[in-house]
Amino acid sequence: MSPRLHLQIDERSGVPVYRQMMDQFKYYVAGGTLRPGDQIPSIRELAAALAVNPTTVVKAYTELEREGVIEKRHGKGAFVSAQAPALTSAEQGDALRRSAKLLAVEATQMQVPTPKVINVVREELGALSNDKATDETPVKFAVVSGGR
Amino acid sequence: MEPVIFSRHLDKAFRNGTVAVSGCDLQVARGEVYGLIGRNGAGKTTLLKLLMGLLRPDAGEARVLGLNLWEATREHRQRVAYVSQGQQVPDWMTLADLGRYCSHFYETWDDSLLKEHARRWELPLNLSISKLSGGNQRLAALAVALATRPEVLLLDEPAAGLDPIARRELNSCLIDVLMRGGGCTILLSTHLLGDLERLATRVGIMDRGRIVAEGAVEDWQRTMRRVQVVFAEHFAPPDFAIPGALKSQTLGPVVTALARVSDEAQLDGVRALPGVRVNVFPLTLEELFVDWFRETVKEPFASPAGISGQPVFPVPNTPQ
Repeated sequence: MSPRLHLQIDERSGVPVYRQMMDQFKYYVAGGTLRPGDQIPSIRELAAALAVNPTTVVKAYTELEREGVIEKRHGKGAFVSAQAPALTSAEQGDALRRSAKLLAVEATQMQVPTPKVINVVREELGALSNDKATDETPVKFAVVSGGR
Repeated sequence: MEPVIFSRHLDKAFRNGTVAVSGCDLQVARGEVYGLIGRNGAGKTTLLKLLMGLLRPDAGEARVLGLNLWEATREHRQRVAYVSQGQQVPDWMTLADLGRYCSHFYETWDDSLLKEHARRWELPLNLSISKLSGGNQRLAALAVALATRPEVLLLDEPAAGLDPIARRELNSCLIDVLMRGGGCTILLSTHLLGDLERLATRVGIMDRGRIVAEGAVEDWQRTMRRVQVVFAEHFAPPDFAIPGALKSQTLGPVVTALARVSDEAQLDGVRALPGVRVNVFPLTLEELFVDWFRETVKEPFASPAGISGQPVFPVPNTPQ
């Protein structure tokens, strides 16, 4: 397995496990950690590393292949496609919206005025881009913690 | 072809009158990992024992690999391994002794597998099993079960009493078993629903002796939602129901439901109601389980008077 991949399954997210895997692969491709032609872990490797049912990994890989993110080469394994599509803006929107929804609920419950919520988001974005200038912060939502 | 694990109209009551299993239907196909969940006393252990042929059903059928294990010969029973909640290995033996002993009975016995699991789980081979901790005794029983290379594994709360590391190792071993040549069909009961999100292909909720709901884990994660509808008035309209609701609860202006939301558009009608707020939350298996059984919990607000629209408690003007 590529040493840079840290896939993480969150059992408390309510998101199907195969979906979590797909999303993280896509973020890695979009972020440039995974490049076209890079080999991705075998089904056995990934199932064992994440302690996930192999049929779930098969499902994630099949869907990724269908979407053109990865391709299987006979007898050699699976690789990131040459024309791996970047995240569509709809997918980016979906991913952000999931987190934004939770934020909105919390803000409403605490009765925080909207401008303040937006300020907090702006500050966090600012803090991240400062970090990025000093060291290479990994894509936040892909890396929850060291996977293995 | 008959599913690997099969029960139909299965009944079992005990002499003290307890009805443990009642009209239980279950089908598990080859290669599936089926998670049996339910409150304590729902009948999970009895169902596993009936399937394993350790108890005789009062009525109905229970078969594994097409065999009624109550009547099957030893050779046939050997294709199925069962690890119960209680102690079941002769604990005066060491794990190495037990391995030698079992190797005489099981044609499929794999001593290297026993040693591998002993190593992974850090189980001493030359200490009598009675001297191991409760969790390690359970792992010893599992190591023996896995070394028989079973076609079917029936596990009754295999992870109970295990520390988080041991639990993770157990999960990895079950994954190994699934990927091994020939594969394996697994039926396990558990209260650790997070583990099922990773391991199980299907989950069944058992209540009062039978499976009351079952589904593919993936499908449940994709479609089961907690939907909360908040009305601007003090009380929700008495005839209001959330589309797709399986279980629903009304507290004043707030209607909360465990609902199957296959398509967000099914809630458009509710969203269009004047002054109504709709929140949709994803659910983990654990939350789903809790919501499923919530109706049995008494809520002070859910008195009949409250539901019919008469204020029981003062409700603040602004819904929280």
